[in-house]
Amino acid sequence: MTIAEAEATRTNTRIGRRPTRGAWWVVFKQELVELWVGGRAINLLILYSLLLGLMTFLLATNSELSLIPPKEMVFLTLLNTISFGVFIGMIVGADGISGERERGTLEVLLLTPASRRQLVLGKLLAALTPWPAAFLISLPALFVTAQGDEVFGQAVLLGVLIGTVLAVAFAGFGLLVSTWSNTNKTSMFICLIVWLLLFLLTQLPGEVQKGDFGYFVQRINPMQATSEFLEKVLVNHRTFWERDEFLRSSVAGVVVVLFLLFAIAAPRLRLDASRARRLRARWGSLSGMALSTFLLVTLVAGPGVALGGPLRQADGQDLAISLDESFLEVKTGDEVTFDTLLENNGSEDSPPVVMAMNIIKLTSTGDVVDPEDWSPERTQYVDFVPAGDQLRHSWTIEAILKGDYMVYLVAVPEPEERSSSHPVSSPGLHLTVGAFQRLNPQGVLPVVIAVPLGVTLALLVLVRLRLRRLGRPGPDEDDERSLRSP
Amino acid sequence: MEQAGAVGSADPTHAQDPPPPILVAEDLTMSYRGWTALHGLSLTLRPGHVMGFLGPNGAGKTTSIRILTTILRPTSGRFSVDGVGSDRPAEIRPRIGVLPETLGLPNQITGIEYITYFARLYGRRGPDAQSHGSALLELVGLRERGRSLIRTYSHGMRQRLGIARALVNDPVVIFLDEPTLGLDPRGQQELLALLRDIARRRGAGIILCSHALSEVEGVCDDVVILSAGHVVATGSVAEVLAKARRKGPRTTTMRLQVPTTSIDRATALLGAMPGVAGVSNGDRERHLQVELVAADARADGDDPRSTNRILDALVDADIQVLSFEVEGSRLQDAFMELTEGART
Repeated sequence: MTIAEAEATRTNTRIGRRPTRGAWWVVFKQELVELWVGGRAINLLILYSLLLGLMTFLLATNSELSLIPPKEMVFLTLLNTISFGVFIGMIVGADGISGERERGTLEVLLLTPASRRQLVLGKLLAALTPWPAAFLISLPALFVTAQGDEVFGQAVLLGVLIGTVLAVAFAGFGLLVSTWSNTNKTSMFICLIVWLLLFLLTQLPGEVQKGDFGYFVQRINPMQATSEFLEKVLVNHRTFWERDEFLRSSVAGVVVVLFLLFAIAAPRLRLDASRARRLRARWGSLSGMALSTFLLVTLVAGPGVALGGPLRQADGQDLAISLDESFLEVKTGDEVTFDTLLENNGSEDSPPVVMAMNIIKLTSTGDVVDPEDWSPERTQYVDFVPAGDQLRHSWTIEAILKGDYMVYLVAVPEPEERSSSHPVSSPGLHLTVGAFQRLNPQGVLPVVIAVPLGVTLALLVLVRLRLRRLGRPGPDEDDERSLRSP
Repeated sequence: MEQAGAVGSADPTHAQDPPPPILVAEDLTMSYRGWTALHGLSLTLRPGHVMGFLGPNGAGKTTSIRILTTILRPTSGRFSVDGVGSDRPAEIRPRIGVLPETLGLPNQITGIEYITYFARLYGRRGPDAQSHGSALLELVGLRERGRSLIRTYSHGMRQRLGIARALVNDPVVIFLDEPTLGLDPRGQQELLALLRDIARRRGAGIILCSHALSEVEGVCDDVVILSAGHVVATGSVAEVLAKARRKGPRTTTMRLQVPTTSIDRATALLGAMPGVAGVSNGDRERHLQVELVAADARADGDDPRSTNRILDALVDADIQVLSFEVEGSRLQDAFMELTEGART
């Protein structure tokens, strides 16, 4: 019998089952069970809650040292929440198809009447579920770090909005890579490389992030743009619409990823990712180029950051500075106050003088400490010092890091036009800063401990309930049980 | 082009006015970048029939299955399942059930959850999907372990679960790739009996890929033997055996077991018979190897008349025949003959 004859005999009597429109929902529910009850998402979230607790504790410690105001702590906590939350989604997405290929479970899925797009949609929705869970876990941390500041509400709103956009973009990206990869190893590697690149760009020196290229990179990198946006809005009191251009890359990322996923990758979903090898090579070369570019930019930009302006020519003056303290021993977080006496031993009034505070860490390399981190007032200006007179000034330091330091001041007389002057240095104040010993900064310790513990317990209860519902698996005596006749 | 069919089926319901075929393939070819994995496969499968796919590793069995299950698109050729042409794969999928060689079962869910999941993917609603799943687990003997996690299942139980999944959509054609792999002999027999029963009761056609030739011989109506992507034999088991014999040597060896005390007498008796080329004492003490030569060019060495004459002579001489076996009469011999040179 030919095929044409066979087609003519088609009866249609047996087939009552047709592809369902809601297959994506069936796939989504099944993926949820495997993701959450199977343990993958649970393990990642427990790890996340521990990391978040640690970061919150460190932030609160810094805040206690008057380094970070609550708004900035909330910003950093939210940024960490979004970064880790969407990272988990990307990892889950990266396992979505290539994991099925590797475990040999994709073939039977492809044989069902569910369309490829429905399969991918169900998996994408499941990959998005870790994000709201991660966000919920971070709410207590956001609340305690806000310390009653109204920024908490703003952070929650922005977190839901921006985090969701990024979660879709990154989970979709993970799934896209997974669709084109034959193994989990490949998809995970590509996703991690991309993640690392985006993250490293945010860590470039400040000078590199300026200029046309720097600003361009800042805007097209969703992670960097999100960081900029949140910082401006939460910390620097800018409005949403003043900085909305920083969100465009995230929105564009979502559109591009969803288009690639549903218009190109999903309809061509195959048992074997035949293009994976070529794609791997392409991704490999792209990653290599991006890494090379990054290193090149860092190398080129680095010296520029280190170079300062030309040295001034020294010139003599009759000024002298003395301190009322020569040695102090304090704890990290303590406030240190001392006075200086600026004397003019000459017979004429001095020109205007700038007094600048310097702090050097007494290590073998003599690390320079940025006074901006240590003191709200790093310089003081003096119009003039009368001849034979002296002026007293008070200085305050926040001892933020433990160690041995030398604090000294320099008086810089204003030079006359087209000439230089002779800066004068004071004796040093030897400052020994001991370790910070408070265990519960800002009262965050209970939250830091309770949240990971609560998450772990809740998930253990979930698993326990499921196991109880299933009943204990019986011994394998059924193993050889005879088959029953139909 | 040879075409496998239902010729020679023992089932009387097949013999007269056969129902229309549920799977027809014409000249299927699959090439990958200049290398042809499958050359012109054609076959016909009728309802209730079991067709065995045999061949050494790399012969093209899995490629054939993947084409017929719409996972791969053939380079050329067409096929139809239940009258639906291969140009409509989405309509074919609801009509087929597949047990791939890699079972592809998740570990973290229960058997009933798994089957219910697939029942829903095939369009059944909640309670209906659940009860359908339970019925299928009952069918394959897993009902009592249905609520256990799949990770606690033995290999045999996993195979049965895979078969339950392949049946979840009441398929017209069922493709099974090495379904008895890893099962103990009893498990193999039970599974094959189940498959045979499913084919007959449900009227489904079954394509069975297997390396276990004895099981194919026992359960299959038709056979396709592939070697290096080429179809080397198709037809009923009897037809394939006949073809192998025609291709093979013109002599057949008959192995006889007689009491030790009768060996010398039997050797002398058989050595004097016409058509016997030689009698030797074999590799074991109580076995005789009798080499038979065809009486004429048209007859095979293992013509039943020749073997019957041997047995008659021994019985007439009051020599007890403890056992006998004719080499070349089993599918394994045909397989070896037809795929000679290919690695199994």
